[in-house]
Amino acid sequence: MADIKLTRVEKTYPGASEPSVKGVDLQINDGEFVVLVGPSGCGKSTLLRMIAGLETISSGEIAIAGRVVNDMEPMDRNIAMVFQNYALYPHMSVRQNLSYGLKNRKMPKAEINRRVDDAASILQIGALLDRKPRALSGGQRQRVAMGRAIVREPSVFLFDEPLSNLDAKLRVSMRGEIRQLQKRLGTTSVYVTHDQMEAMTLADKLVVLNAGRVEQVGTPLELFHQPQTVFVAGFIGSPGMNLWDGDVRQGNLVIDGVEVARGVRAPDGPVVAGLRPEALSLQTGGDGQFILSYVEELGSTRLVHGHFNGQPVSAQMTPDQPLDQVMRMVFDSADLHLFDAATGARVNSAPAIDAASTPETV
Amino acid sequence: MVENRPLLTFLSHLVLILGVISVALPVWLALVASTHPSSAFVSGRVPLWFGPDGLSSYIKMMDQGASTSGTPPIGQMMFNSLVMALIITVGKIVISMLSAFAICYFRFPFRVLAFWAIFITLMLPVEVRIVPTFEVVANLGMLNSYAGLSIPLIASATATFLFRQVFLTLPDELTEAARIDGAGPMKFFWDHALPLSRTNIAALAVILFIYGWNQYLWPLIVTTDESYYTIVMGIKRMASVVDDAPRWNDIMAVVVMAMMPPVLVVVAMQKLFVKGLVETEK
Amino acid sequence: MQTKKTIFRSRALPYLLLAPQLAITVVFFLWPAGQAIWQSFLRQDAFGFSTQFVGLENYIALFHDPSYLNSFKVTAVFSISVAGLSMGLGLLFAVCVDRIIKANRAYSTLLIWPYAVAPAVAGVLWWFMFNPTIGILSYALRQMGYNWNHATHPDDAMILVVLAASWKQISYNFLFFVAGLQAIPQSLREAAAIDGAGPVKRFFTVVFPLLSPTTFFLLVINVTYTMFETFAVIDASTSGGPAQATNILVYKVYQDGFVGLNLGSSAAQSVILMAIVIVLTVIQFRYIERRVEY
Repeated sequence: MADIKLTRVEKTYPGASEPSVKGVDLQINDGEFVVLVGPSGCGKSTLLRMIAGLETISSGEIAIAGRVVNDMEPMDRNIAMVFQNYALYPHMSVRQNLSYGLKNRKMPKAEINRRVDDAASILQIGALLDRKPRALSGGQRQRVAMGRAIVREPSVFLFDEPLSNLDAKLRVSMRGEIRQLQKRLGTTSVYVTHDQMEAMTLADKLVVLNAGRVEQVGTPLELFHQPQTVFVAGFIGSPGMNLWDGDVRQGNLVIDGVEVARGVRAPDGPVVAGLRPEALSLQTGGDGQFILSYVEELGSTRLVHGHFNGQPVSAQMTPDQPLDQVMRMVFDSADLHLFDAATGARVNSAPAIDAASTPETV
Repeated sequence: MVENRPLLTFLSHLVLILGVISVALPVWLALVASTHPSSAFVSGRVPLWFGPDGLSSYIKMMDQGASTSGTPPIGQMMFNSLVMALIITVGKIVISMLSAFAICYFRFPFRVLAFWAIFITLMLPVEVRIVPTFEVVANLGMLNSYAGLSIPLIASATATFLFRQVFLTLPDELTEAARIDGAGPMKFFWDHALPLSRTNIAALAVILFIYGWNQYLWPLIVTTDESYYTIVMGIKRMASVVDDAPRWNDIMAVVVMAMMPPVLVVVAMQKLFVKGLVETEK
Repeated sequence: MQTKKTIFRSRALPYLLLAPQLAITVVFFLWPAGQAIWQSFLRQDAFGFSTQFVGLENYIALFHDPSYLNSFKVTAVFSISVAGLSMGLGLLFAVCVDRIIKANRAYSTLLIWPYAVAPAVAGVLWWFMFNPTIGILSYALRQMGYNWNHATHPDDAMILVVLAASWKQISYNFLFFVAGLQAIPQSLREAAAIDGAGPVKRFFTVVFPLLSPTTFFLLVINVTYTMFETFAVIDASTSGGPAQATNILVYKVYQDGFVGLNLGSSAAQSVILMAIVIVLTVIQFRYIERRVEY
């Protein structure tokens, strides 16, 4: 068991003008499940591979269990990694795949067999031990890849988008299994994904990365309810948050000349105003500023898309609510997230869960 | 085939059958000639069907050889050819795999220079540098030896490129997984790179065996001691000497024995042969 | 140049791995090639007692030597004939096999084995068939009123070596044309059929143009083959004769160097041949690079 500490970690690839990872500080506690999430190219995989020892560190320091590992070979870091394409050894049987790393560490045969059998029963792949990887389905390969990590009993698990090659249904069930497994083993885990849903459901602690920098670190709910930057606001949550350009003038939020909310707690100036679709409801009545474009039926809810003064708007509603071509937008101004238009940093204090209700109608 | 045209299909079969026959004709005649007594050729026309002697020419040549032309028994020459072909095959595969591995999996000073030095061997077939290469081999005292017959031929750009291609298609994650599992470079080579190139190695071996067995000019110039003659070069010596009193049956028996091993390899391993041929030309 | 993204770190190991290949390359390839270039500027007397630097004289002498210029001509005729004949037949057989669904594997097997026959053996086999006294083909020709003798008729000798060299090479061209034909999507032929093109028209307007990369590639390979690897065919059948009629460039290098012991001239010829291989190799690789981009 181990914690991981990253101190001002930077990575610049040879020939690149800009670093891919820029001064990342991060503390990962023992037993924690940390998910690194961000769009492609944000540096999340590079960061993971630096922890693994597969990439050199340009500057800064990585310590695992208090030991600085910058110059340590991957095999000496006591980590195990699950790869996106599984990276199973195609010429070895499942049993050989699982035991390879243990043999290389000169572990006694009996101990190897015990660990392989344990891992196989945990992952329910006992019947597959003599097969070659090409005779396995995607889900089974995924399990074997996990098994290869488990048998090592490492102090850290590293996952590099391990579910992205699976179909949607399998992905959801494997997600659950990974979560349970990690809870059961209690092994510190770092997990990379670009899928924010996956990130939200798995993480104890979520790290949102953008362009090589950490945007925000927190629990999934903290990030959802109190995004500290406009990037996090837009990235976390599905359906995505509405983001409108506007201005704050003497405590009022003005969008395209229309005053949409009063009493917001933010200094004057141009802002990006965010509002979750589930915090917005639409009322019929023949007037209002919302013009309907189209409706997405999701079964238990429906997503209503339209625009307001030319800016796109989505609202999540129940299917029994009536719709019209023109509707009024109703929301609580406490649900508004305001961000500085220039820096993207949050400017209003986060809405408290039980904040006084100040309904707005536009 | 898009539509069914019986006439065209028939024509295709006809062309192919004619092709197969004419391709086989020279070898057929050789086989037939080898089963006749030498007196059968005096009439001035080659027989078209097997004669009464059966395998006797083969047996005779196998253990005596053509004493008039000073060649050793064919068995000895076949053995020499086999040794040369095998050293060339194994040697080329080993040194090419190692250099391709170095070029793919390491970054080091002069890497590109090494690559080009190997590449250049493509442009220097033995035929164009025959005299100076002979001198080098002679100065190294390698004339009339298995080393002299094979080692100068085992540098190979083609095989190096082939293995480089194979290694480039191995996924990076595989190497990373192996590194995390504690494999250093040579362990990775032995445990993963080698087993994963097995079919490529086999295909290449088929091509190289044929190449090695069929060498002609090189053995011709580096062997003067008849105990190192290879069978393919030995044929010429035999044929040119016996021209006065041609023992055609014996010559053709030797010809058949000289081509049998590589032809059998191709027929038995057709799939690997085709794979090898296509891959080495890329 | 491409490497793997994941690499190993070691200072000495890569050099160790490269050492055998590089040692052989330097000792048996680069050094002799350098020697050939150096010797091409020297002249030795007949007994090898004295050597003298003569600059480009060997080259100049070569290009004034009718027998060398003749060798160029012979090589050109030989190359073009072998490439044309073996590629034409290879393509014909490939097209036929491509049409046939049943038994095409059997046909392939029966057509490809000559690849494995040594060029020297091919030379002996055809020499035997055309032998003026007992050869079956010369007998047949005599019956038709043609008195074949490749030992005295230059044209007969050329035909003999062309046939022997082509016979061995058909299998190679056949295999690559079959692969080329298989790479043409069936849907294209079907589209052409729907557009009303019959099998023959389809071949010339759709299939053959799409085969042109294969054809070009094979052309280069065949020229290289005829220029260098056919040494054994010539040596085992005509030995360059009669009257230099089949004395191709690579055979002349050997004859002048080993038999005639004219080292300077032989070296100069080697250098010219090297230049030709370099050009051919560059063309071949240019072509492959282009093919990779598709």
